[in-house]
Amino acid sequence: MKYACLVYAEMPSMLALSKEEGRRLDDDSLDYDKELEQRGHLIAGQALQSPETAVTIRVRDGRMSSTDGPFAETKEVLCGFILVEARDMNAALEIAAAIPMARYGSIEVRPILEINHS
Amino acid sequence: MKFACLVYLDGSILAGLPPEEASRLNDACLEFDARHLARGEVTLAYPMQPPGKAVTIRQRDGRLSATDGPFAETKEALAGFFLVDTPTLAEAIAIAGRSPLVAAGGTVEVRPFLPREHS
Repeated sequence: MKYACLVYAEMPSMLALSKEEGRRLDDDSLDYDKELEQRGHLIAGQALQSPETAVTIRVRDGRMSSTDGPFAETKEVLCGFILVEARDMNAALEIAAAIPMARYGSIEVRPILEINHS
Repeated sequence: MKFACLVYLDGSILAGLPPEEASRLNDACLEFDARHLARGEVTLAYPMQPPGKAVTIRQRDGRLSATDGPFAETKEALAGFFLVDTPTLAEAIAIAGRSPLVAAGGTVEVRPFLPREHS
């Protein structure tokens, strides 16, 4: 089964990390992605730029509008995700618990929805 | 340029659709994914199960906690995502705006990837 591990963190506290700590977190994160790949768990892993770089799109009454900024202004924000293949939810939680960002933020683990043509 | 398109949706919109309309929307989403995957504009697309199926993990002071439910309880919740690879942001926005889930009342946040490198 496939699971999305959604990584949320508070931007001010991430920006407040010392250079050394930030570098260590990046290295640990890249190493963990590689480890998951070698163990056959990794489908995709990606960090995202900060929410203010986002553009948000809606269509209402057939008209599209786009606004600068993220969908929601929240204290903790989505800052990346790792998509994994795991036997079951428990195995996915075990993988998520070792994501280095779990030390700083929160990881939401949610199963992927399999949809098929009608 | 690579972007994540994060699709937010009020779960009650989907739950309120008659079965026929729901399966038409399903088909439209699969066709949208297939069309853009074939062109290389979308590299990956996954819908997720509802937020109620999530478990959220935190680690503080070396101790791990896991709680049932999503990270945040919101009316409109992250319902899925697709990753696009287009020469410009404008093209990514144009693709995102054609998502059937946007027409169905959803919202898409388009956000650039953050490249990372080993120190």
